[in-house]
Amino acid sequence: MGMHKPIYHPMNDCGDVVVCINSRDIALRGDEWKKRAYFHHTGYPGGATWTLAWEVHNKDPTMIIKKAVYRSMKGNLQRRHTMERLLIYPDEEVPEDVLQNVTNQIRQLRLVPTRLDHIPEDEVRKFPKVMDYPKDYVYK
Amino acid sequence: MALLARTGVSFLKNAVLSTSVRTLSLTNKLNLKELQERKEGSTLVVEGVNVPSPRTELLIRAENIKDLVQPEGTPKETCYMCALGLDVKHTDVLILSQFVRSDGCMLPRRITGLCRRQQKKIGKMVSMAQKAGLMINLTPSFCKKDPKKRYGFKKFNSYFDETTIFQKKIPTPFEHLKNR
Repeated sequence: MGMHKPIYHPMNDCGDVVVCINSRDIALRGDEWKKRAYFHHTGYPGGATWTLAWEVHNKDPTMIIKKAVYRSMKGNLQRRHTMERLLIYPDEEVPEDVLQNVTNQIRQLRLVPTRLDHIPEDEVRKFPKVMDYPKDYVYK
Repeated sequence: MALLARTGVSFLKNAVLSTSVRTLSLTNKLNLKELQERKEGSTLVVEGVNVPSPRTELLIRAENIKDLVQPEGTPKETCYMCALGLDVKHTDVLILSQFVRSDGCMLPRRITGLCRRQQKKIGKMVSMAQKAGLMINLTPSFCKKDPKKRYGFKKFNSYFDETTIFQKKIPTPFEHLKNR
């Protein structure tokens, strides 16, 4: 966006863009994947469709991020031009010319949780225990 | 004659069945056991072997911690999880995995020894962790072991909010406007 530059003006293209990678791996809260619906209307009678978030994500893994950013912006004429400065990629493959100009990184807000099978077995065994089996318990 | 026949039948029944009926005992005769299967020739021997619990040395209890400050209003007789006052999230798989069986199923309350509230809370968090695919090695044998191979919406990543566990009522979007 280039908002830190003294020459910044929304209608001035100073070459700064935001690159978003790994949009395929986004996480939604709770059962949002099946509860969230995206509305679209073709303009014709009976042309309304509601597509669930997981169906949208199956079809285009960048669409949910794109719509979320689009909705968070002010609905003025500049919105569609500002959206042009957001580049979203479903995985880590970014074109070389985009990657060369990356200068900074915005860290993710929510850390990716560690899976139990990715923790070494020895560490799991030595982790302090809270629950102990009762005396008449049979292992399974 | 009929009385004699009935007593004869009951006597025979007792003689046959008494050997198979297991005698009840109220003492804690059974200890922590592991079922071991081995084959001796053509016979399969299933044996329950007494084993010491591997957890006793690593066990953490609130009464053993000296400088543990409990928040005000906590009742004196609480279960061990309430007494510890840990803020467990659904991503803390190292804690949650202690409460599940090897197939990822939550253990019942008579085994975990938790209070009702904690049992409910931890059970919900276990299911949250399972849905998020964090305890994929603790699943039934027919599970595909890879969250990305799941069907439909289940293959995408999700996270959970623990404050929703005891939320009795989910407020409708316009409810806060009515109360003004």
